[in-house]
Amino acid sequence: MDIIFTLTLNGLAIGMLFFLLAAGLTLVFGLMDVLNFAHGGLFVWGAYTGLWVYSLSSNFWIGVLGAIVAGLLIGAITELFIIKPVYGNHVQQILITLGFLLVLSELIKVVFGADIKAVQPPSYLDGNFALGDLTIIKYRLFLIVMGLFVFILTTYILKKTRIGLIVRAGVINKEMVQALGINIRLVFMAVFMVGSAMAALGGFLFVNYSGTAFPELGIEYGIFAFIVVVIGGMGSFSGSLLAAILVGLAQVYFQYYLPSLAIAVNMILMTAVLLLRPQGLFTTRGVSTK
Amino acid sequence: MKQLNKMQLSTWVYLLISVLLAVVPFVYDNLSMLFLIVQIFIFGIFAMSYDLLLGYTGIVSFGHAMFFGVGAYGVSIVLERSEEPTMAVVILGTIIALGIAAVISFIAGILTLRLKSHFYAMLTLALAGLFLAAAEKMRDLTGGSDGLLFTVPEFFKDRTNLYLLCLSSLVVIFFLLRRVTNSPLGRVLVAIRENEQRTMSLGYKIFPYKLIISVISGVVAAFAGVLYAISIRFIDTTVFAVDVTLDALLMTIIGGVGTLIGPVIGAGLIEYAHHFLSSELADVHWIFERWVILFGTVYILAVIFFPKGIVGSIQGFVNKRKIKKQEQFDKKQSEKDELAG
Repeated sequence: MDIIFTLTLNGLAIGMLFFLLAAGLTLVFGLMDVLNFAHGGLFVWGAYTGLWVYSLSSNFWIGVLGAIVAGLLIGAITELFIIKPVYGNHVQQILITLGFLLVLSELIKVVFGADIKAVQPPSYLDGNFALGDLTIIKYRLFLIVMGLFVFILTTYILKKTRIGLIVRAGVINKEMVQALGINIRLVFMAVFMVGSAMAALGGFLFVNYSGTAFPELGIEYGIFAFIVVVIGGMGSFSGSLLAAILVGLAQVYFQYYLPSLAIAVNMILMTAVLLLRPQGLFTTRGVSTK
Repeated sequence: MKQLNKMQLSTWVYLLISVLLAVVPFVYDNLSMLFLIVQIFIFGIFAMSYDLLLGYTGIVSFGHAMFFGVGAYGVSIVLERSEEPTMAVVILGTIIALGIAAVISFIAGILTLRLKSHFYAMLTLALAGLFLAAAEKMRDLTGGSDGLLFTVPEFFKDRTNLYLLCLSSLVVIFFLLRRVTNSPLGRVLVAIRENEQRTMSLGYKIFPYKLIISVISGVVAAFAGVLYAISIRFIDTTVFAVDVTLDALLMTIIGGVGTLIGPVIGAGLIEYAHHFLSSELADVHWIFERWVILFGTVYILAVIFFPKGIVGSIQGFVNKRKIKKQEQFDKKQSEKDELAG
């Protein structure tokens, strides 16, 4: 029982990280029809900038803020210089964003050094506490809370505000939104920046969880974002959350019970979904399946 | 008729360059340079196989490394298991490696080729990731991340032999692939690249064509892997890494997509620049060790501004000039006619 509880908690925590990584990607794809392979680059930049700010200010929350700001800025740069020239051409988008992922990962080495960095979360998030006869690792609980907070906040914005209405309408039919006199370009940019900031936040939270940061992090974990997006359904926000939790749990359970299959399980999951239900497991009606 | 003559002319030019290259090891005896050129030949073959997909059919694969790796591991494992490395063992290993690659590319093709470009790219990336993971887990077979060290027959230890083998492979594969791309099959592939729906409505079943070319491409990539393993005499799991696919992608894009010779030129440029930047200039300033930044930037700019690459841009320029000349000629002709009239 203990072990099931620990594994589930761990899986949920990792799932929340995957959700942060995938949420921006899926919105950008649904709205702009752009699959951004450079998304993993934001993850690692968020991690490093956050750590840098954290070590300067020795305040974890200022580090979080630093990661978010870095995500917003790099997101804006990416949208302007990388994505904008290749709208509407899928092959070029795939090619150029992959190149940018490489550049981003390599630039990390120039700015912050190529070595693996050890990371220590703040003392009040470190360690564990006992609940009855269960041991709970604080940081995992914190991750779940953070993930849910971001999910609820974003869902609120998407469902209850005017800008959210525009974004949702844009995902379903962007020509129509444009015809109604809304500058869809600005909406694109804003969504892209927010999505990048989420990935950056996810990166910073992740390195505090894993305890190490290294420049190839983005390339390594970027693939999970795609897996989550495919399983959840392209452009489906709540689908991403469910898929991320599924992937997180699968990852953790297989690592414990069938470690030889752990790396493969999520890729097999994605392959199966792509072949049997290419629109994703949790797509709702009206969401673009392009 | 004119087309035929042009074809023959370019064939002669390529053959002449091949002969000149074949003389190099006899007059220029720098081991590290020869080794570099051998790597260029091998990656030239690999990049050509990638060009079949990207340039001729318009398919973006992010998992091409898996065929390269299967080829490399196939021959390495056979050589390592054999009691005595003879020529027959190498040939057997090569046949096994190419066979496995053909089967894998066939199965992967059936599974993935029906998907749209985004999904195809992601799925091939994931498949290559699976192979990497498998190679690391199956330690008994692959040696895991320690890699495999093996001996090759004496013949391959001689740099000149190796050089000539790789060069002749490159030349033969180049002409074979050129034959394929100029055949009716190649024309259908280009039609698929240009407009899939239209090709379908013209009555072509596009799926079998895509499948055939991806099997050919996979087998050629595996052969490049075989040559790579034999030339290095050691392999580890990095042959399955994304970097290998990215190298092919860079070479193809920078050299020129859909030109066959472009990827070979791209391979030469990138391998040489890599060598030059990491060994010569790295002493000058450490920033040159981060050569990926430079390449990535060049690559991004190339995708935006020169999507046709070096060879494609030159071809476009030459064609434009020809058309201009023709126009001027026509103009003069009509002026003359007017004067005469």
